Amino acid sequence: MDYDRRKLLEQIMALEFTALEFNLYLDTHPQDMKALEEFNQAARKLAQLKQEYESRYGPLTNYGTTPSPGSWRWVEDPWPWEITF
Amino acid sequence: MNEAQAQGFNWELARAYIPWQRYTEKWDPLEGLRKGTIFPELYMPYHPTAR
Repeated sequence: MDYDRRKLLEQIMALEFTALEFNLYLDTHPQDMKALEEFNQAARKLAQLKQEYESRYGPLTNYGTTPSPGSWRWVEDPWPWEITF
Repeated sequence: MNEAQAQGFNWELARAYIPWQRYTEKWDPLEGLRKGTIFPELYMPYHPTAR
């Protein structure tokens, strides 16, 4: 996995963790507008990064959310446990 | 008499308190991912030797 791809994947993993953390916080603090705003920022940026990654490298998950033009990228790519960070 | 007393405990087994968290600041995504939380107030690494 080349450097750029791994860096992008790291960003996605980190940002997804941030969104998840805000999700958990908002479950018990749904009125916290500052947290809600920052959750939305993270979620928007995350969607953008995922879209960029998947357009370049293929699907991140195999739940049918992403088309795989040209070939079935899912089996061509390294499995998650084969990626070292 | 509650269950604990019935088993011969004459003090409470436990009483949890959870202060209400108020979000103010967070760590950047990569740091949060490494530390296991984005909220500094929740970061509590376990150091068995440090007494």
